[in-house]
Amino acid sequence: MTRTARKRSRIGHEPVGYLFIAPFYLFFLFIILLPIVIAVVNTFTNYDLYKQNDFIGLANYKTLLGDPIFHQALGNTLLYSVLYIVPSMVLGLLLALLLSGESRGYQVFRTGFYLPYIISMVCASTIWLWMFDPSSGFLNQLLAKLGLAPSTWLKDPSLAMLCVVLVSVWKNLGYCMLINLSGIKGIPGYLYEAAEIDGAGALQRFRHITLPMLQPTTFFLFITSCISSFNVFEQVNVLTGGGPLNTTTTIVHQIYIRGFSEFKMGYASAMSVVLMIMVSIITIINFRFGNQGQDTDMG
Amino acid sequence: MKRSKALRKYLALVFTVLLLLVVLTPFFLMVLTSLKTLPEILSPQFTLLPESPKFGNYLEAMQRGDWPRYLFNSALVTVVTVVISLIINSLAGYGFARIPFRGRELLFFFALIGMMVPSQVTMIPVFIILKNFPLAGGNSLLGAGGTGLINTYAGLILPYIAGPFGVFLCRQFYMNFPTSMDDAAKIDGCGRLTAYARIYLPLSKPILGTLAVLKASQTWNDYMWPLIMINKESMMTAQVAVVAKFATEVSIQWHLLMAATAVIILPLLILFLFTQKYFVEGVVTTGIKG
Repeated sequence: MTRTARKRSRIGHEPVGYLFIAPFYLFFLFIILLPIVIAVVNTFTNYDLYKQNDFIGLANYKTLLGDPIFHQALGNTLLYSVLYIVPSMVLGLLLALLLSGESRGYQVFRTGFYLPYIISMVCASTIWLWMFDPSSGFLNQLLAKLGLAPSTWLKDPSLAMLCVVLVSVWKNLGYCMLINLSGIKGIPGYLYEAAEIDGAGALQRFRHITLPMLQPTTFFLFITSCISSFNVFEQVNVLTGGGPLNTTTTIVHQIYIRGFSEFKMGYASAMSVVLMIMVSIITIINFRFGNQGQDTDMG
Repeated sequence: MKRSKALRKYLALVFTVLLLLVVLTPFFLMVLTSLKTLPEILSPQFTLLPESPKFGNYLEAMQRGDWPRYLFNSALVTVVTVVISLIINSLAGYGFARIPFRGRELLFFFALIGMMVPSQVTMIPVFIILKNFPLAGGNSLLGAGGTGLINTYAGLILPYIAGPFGVFLCRQFYMNFPTSMDDAAKIDGCGRLTAYARIYLPLSKPILGTLAVLKASQTWNDYMWPLIMINKESMMTAQVAVVAKFATEVSIQWHLLMAATAVIILPLLILFLFTQKYFVEGVVTTGIKG
């Protein structure tokens, strides 16, 4: 190595940098990276937090393949994802289009739609728990006023999942609106002016300018919605506890039940690995097709 | 042509107002229900307004269990989480953005991967690690024998401050400054730490505000982690307590449940109304999803 080259490499390396990232990395290492390794290792054991911790090979995965409740949870999670993603994305876009104006009035509207997003999922769930209550809840009172037959909502196996989805859409609508709004803001105004001069109507402008220009935003929203849907838990735990007849139990709800009420840590970890694979697939899709304009940041 | 445009605008407005009413109705009903008596709520004859507002419901709800304590727990965990997060995330964000060092890209890439892994995937191993934390909660040096950090504030806070998203937020922010700033600092004889503390930190108000608001709302609102980590009454956070004290009973006392819900929404509502800009900014730049 010549003298100048050595000098240059010394300029490009300041060990004090490690000091700056050290506090963060210490926590990150022990609470994010190490747990991923432990999760995978645990799947080969029958660890129960207290006595047992033996190597049992692939037994947990074999049990998983034959566990009807887990299969149901897997199906429910995918069903939830589809039922949640489509309306929340469509409504979020619609609201963003309606409210993209700059005046004070629009701002007040946007704040209104955004309110459910800032409260906790627990609060959203407890409010709707009453709305859905079969005997005194608002929805049945409303049906009665309209002369319609009451429903049992969360206690009806064919309706419970829809109710859970409704709460999620209600809560996250403001988020979808906000992300779309920021996308719409990024579309240069001259495109619309040019289209208007060319005689394009509102619908044509939407189809040929807004929609294609919003594609990165839509994609980003799709990715984050997929991941958060795969992880759905809190609203399920508060609203239905996975019932009735396991029609609303989800992957994370199963991890919680198996891990923290049955203490089958190894088995629950195997479920975590399935979840990790599902999330990884979405992440790979994101890396492969995403990154147009948006940075890779996601929650 | 003009008239149809005006009509369309009018229809859009009507639709938006109606939708907004539907979205806000649950909030109104929550407040109204929290002020009714239980017989009023259970009566088959629905009335929108309470006969006379029972503000005493709030007092009664707060006496179910030790609510001052639950709210204190939530507040303490939130404040400590925010303060520590701001310090370690802005330090790391600055390091990744402005200081060249070997392996920086690789270390940053790991953090990126870590951010993609949801906390739901790692909740079991994190619980095991914190339970077996050495020398805590009666544990030996090897982490055996006791309860570790279960039922402690540290057990609640540690996972909250480990997430990398604040580092990304800060890194993004610090990358926007021109390199000439670092050069100028160097010529003036500032070390990296002085440059960070004297030059960059005073300029970081917007990003730290955003991060503080996001972290505060996430921490205050979280339910899953305290649900797992806490089984002692006196250590419950407000979110866990509202479910445990009111929502799991066979015949729920709706007026108390709604009152307690309103109480734990209130601090966030105030925070949001005062810091709306930061809130919105944070969500848009990170895409963080609650």
